[in-house]
Amino acid sequence: MSEKITRRNFLKLTTAGAATAAIMTGCGPASRYVTREPYVKMPEYTYNGLSTYYATTCRECAAGCGIIVRTMQGRAIKVEGNPQNPINLGKTCARGQATLHGLYNPDRVENPVRQGRSAPQLSTAQVSWDEAIQTVSDALSKTNASEVAFLMGTAPDHLFDLVSDLTDAIGAPAPLRFSALSMFEARATLSKAAEDLLGQAGLPFFDISNADVVVSFGANFLETWLSPVAYTRGYAKMRRSRPRTRGYMVHFETQMSQTAAKADEWIPLLPGTEGLVALALGKLVAQLRGISAPRAFASVNVQQVVETSGVSMEQLTRVAELIAESHAPIAIPGGQALGQSNGLAAAEAILALNALVDNFGQPGGVSLSPLAPNAGAYHRPANAQEMSDLIAKMKSGKIKVLFIHGVNPLFELPQSFGFAEALHATPTVISFATFPDETALTSDYIFPDHHGLESWGYQRSQTGVMQSVLSGSQPVVAPNYNTRATADVFIEAARLAGGKLAQALPFADEVEFIQSKIENLIARTDGSFIAPEINAFSAYFQQHGGWWASSAESDSLSAANALGKSLNVSSAAASIGENEFFFLPFVSPTLGEAGANKPWLQELPDPTTTVMWNTWVAMNPETARELGIENDDVVRIVSEVGSVEASVYKYPAIHPNAVAMPFGQGHTAYGRFAAGRGANPTDVLAPSFNEAGDLAFAGMKVRIEKTGKQQPLSRLESRIGVYGEGMYEEK
Amino acid sequence: MQMTVDLNRVGAKGAIAEAAEGKWGMSIDRDLCTGCQACVAACAMENNISFVGEEDAGYGRTQHWIRIERFWEGAYPNVKIAGGYQPMMCQQCGHAPCEPVCPVFATPHSDAEQLNLQVYNRCIGTRYCANNCPYQARSFNWRDYHTMPERGNMVNGKLVFPLHNQFNPDVTVRRRGVMEKCTFCIQRIHKAQDKAKSEGREVMDGEFAPACAQACPADAITFGRIDHKDSLVSQRSNEGRGVKHLEDLNTLPRVTYLKEG
Repeated sequence: MSEKITRRNFLKLTTAGAATAAIMTGCGPASRYVTREPYVKMPEYTYNGLSTYYATTCRECAAGCGIIVRTMQGRAIKVEGNPQNPINLGKTCARGQATLHGLYNPDRVENPVRQGRSAPQLSTAQVSWDEAIQTVSDALSKTNASEVAFLMGTAPDHLFDLVSDLTDAIGAPAPLRFSALSMFEARATLSKAAEDLLGQAGLPFFDISNADVVVSFGANFLETWLSPVAYTRGYAKMRRSRPRTRGYMVHFETQMSQTAAKADEWIPLLPGTEGLVALALGKLVAQLRGISAPRAFASVNVQQVVETSGVSMEQLTRVAELIAESHAPIAIPGGQALGQSNGLAAAEAILALNALVDNFGQPGGVSLSPLAPNAGAYHRPANAQEMSDLIAKMKSGKIKVLFIHGVNPLFELPQSFGFAEALHATPTVISFATFPDETALTSDYIFPDHHGLESWGYQRSQTGVMQSVLSGSQPVVAPNYNTRATADVFIEAARLAGGKLAQALPFADEVEFIQSKIENLIARTDGSFIAPEINAFSAYFQQHGGWWASSAESDSLSAANALGKSLNVSSAAASIGENEFFFLPFVSPTLGEAGANKPWLQELPDPTTTVMWNTWVAMNPETARELGIENDDVVRIVSEVGSVEASVYKYPAIHPNAVAMPFGQGHTAYGRFAAGRGANPTDVLAPSFNEAGDLAFAGMKVRIEKTGKQQPLSRLESRIGVYGEGMYEEK
Repeated sequence: MQMTVDLNRVGAKGAIAEAAEGKWGMSIDRDLCTGCQACVAACAMENNISFVGEEDAGYGRTQHWIRIERFWEGAYPNVKIAGGYQPMMCQQCGHAPCEPVCPVFATPHSDAEQLNLQVYNRCIGTRYCANNCPYQARSFNWRDYHTMPERGNMVNGKLVFPLHNQFNPDVTVRRRGVMEKCTFCIQRIHKAQDKAKSEGREVMDGEFAPACAQACPADAITFGRIDHKDSLVSQRSNEGRGVKHLEDLNTLPRVTYLKEG
């Protein structure tokens, strides 16, 4: 061979070779990882002191934000936002940042174990993965399909798809997905209201960024609501992205949440009257705009709304004037407004208010969130009613095998639902938990899944942007422990069982399954990248951290349907007696539903109270004075179904007849940073539902009892000067 | 020729401040800050800051290099958070009150970057600097938090700390008895400068950001050269809403807060 190869051409050839090799790698699960090496032993592919960055998807909630993880010699060092991902555009929330404290948490389930329901201890009876897969396989093939149940969290979506394929094939009931966030956000109510008024079930998207008046009914969109990073960006744009226009925000909520504190006006009202206020506003706005009130608002008596809600006539009129004079007003229904016995009507009333100002499908208005690229229809998480039905089935012995992944119902569901008894009545419970949470420790087996940062997968965007987004996950580090991807476990177990099961999952491993689910995107030319075939497509999918449509979708929704419906909102606010209070649980803005085991999230001060590491009861200082309660006094909150104890925080911005408590603490397990800390407000919630099947959690009536105990709360703020307190006051 | 001395540029040590405007600076828009704590978490992850636990946190020993302050105003129902949430961190003062009080010169001023440095291996823990900081931006390592036995696991008779895998190798891990504070992510500044130098150019505006600004979902934090008039941070700082905290102490803070509204 006499042809001379120049140095330049040689380099070109080798680079092409390397690229092909990179795309072609992956013959089995193990070869798909970069292994962790001690710093003293430098692998050849790394340069001393240079980092490798991997795009993946955050799994701390279901929003599907894209992240880029900085790694060094196989260690994950720092989470940064993926600037390309349309959902978060390079930004993250605190929970996303702290996901590394989950990955490197000292309390993880390190091996598959025969747990034997020995809570609160994690069992040491290790089993091999072969035995584990055999166990899953037997449970799948030797049980009547109708007696198998799958309970999953809201992330990740690829596993939900895999299990859905599996249940379809064997004729088992479809997997249920649940999270405390979806319960406290009343997502079923929101999507039902969208179906009733917009004609299609799904999560509405609220385009705050282009609105000039935002009226929020308890929507905590700067904290944990639906897609907090996307909505925070919307908020920032609403305030300061337009010359000479600074959007104005009004927030109706019984207590001042972190989001309410950012509003120009916070208007406290009694819980359960949000829908009535929305109807009254609609009537007033129609009058001010000189149009006859549509049917939806015709029946409301404004004077009566003033009396029941506690919002004054002047406030109502002023907000109505703001809306009437605005070019792009928007009203947003939040979890606290919908998690009520009249929640569905409230959601419809608030959406109808948007219809009245004709903002459907407009910039600064309400649209229906587009479906993710590989989604056929909107899958909403299970509502509390469906969870209650599952529990009833379990209790009556109709479920023989329960598989649990990504959710901790013993902690997340109210105790009064009786999930503990239901678990007891279920002969076989198999958990795939990454952390030793309450439910995992009460299972027969724990076959631990990898942490989200060690995993393959994808997550669909639910809402937050009008682009159709599929966020992709890839492992950024090799698994730290003897864990295995749950998808791989099911694929192996199905192969072992043979028959219909094996036919349902004919894949070599999880990655092949994911490829089969994104294959149809290769044909699309309207996305973030194009590739000729699946291997190249997957490589780009990993590199970009997903695939998304390059332009925003718009939809044409009709407002007529919404306005023609006669809406009748009954007041859910019951009268309260002596020493009775409305109880308002809310998801902790810093911990979210599953953040309690991440120590840095524990040490983040709550934005409004600055309390760290614990649970508090927010009480109006005036009320506390009347009851003779001081800061840090432990009180017992008693409802018809249970009681819970926590220290009082005298909170100046809460209705005197209400007390509020954050959800996120009160674990009895879940690792050393979470266990035995704080209290769980769901312990006092009764199983009552609204028309959409969501839990009517907000504004339940409770009594308050003094315990005589004191338990100081650790706060970031100084106590000096707070209600005249001195730090070293002599008693 | 008459010499004039601008008293605003005379430092506590009597030296003339070489450049009152400094080099690196930050603007924080309180209208945008939602108090979400993403910056606090990002800072902790980037800078190997230890958490201290509930009890020490209650004693005010938290190590937050950046914290979100909020001040109540009024009484129910007309109560509000005055001026919005306020992230507070080391203001990288031009005339820093912390600097002259250190007996061992552990907190010198960088000529090159115009930042307040903290030399951990020089610090002997007198805490004079924290005492003298009007912004309460300094935090002290009261214990060896990172190696507290209850944070590790016994593996084959040896204590291992899985959390240590997350440490950023660009930042020193501090031990007990050492003062620490926000550095404006000086490791990122150096990295960007090295990169620019190797490519034969200047560091561009917006090329990098400290961990807090990078994470901020509302884009409330802007970082850059305040001595360059056309940088984004200079433009934001000078747009008319800017306030510097405790300016009357003549500390020459490098952080400008933009008022609500």
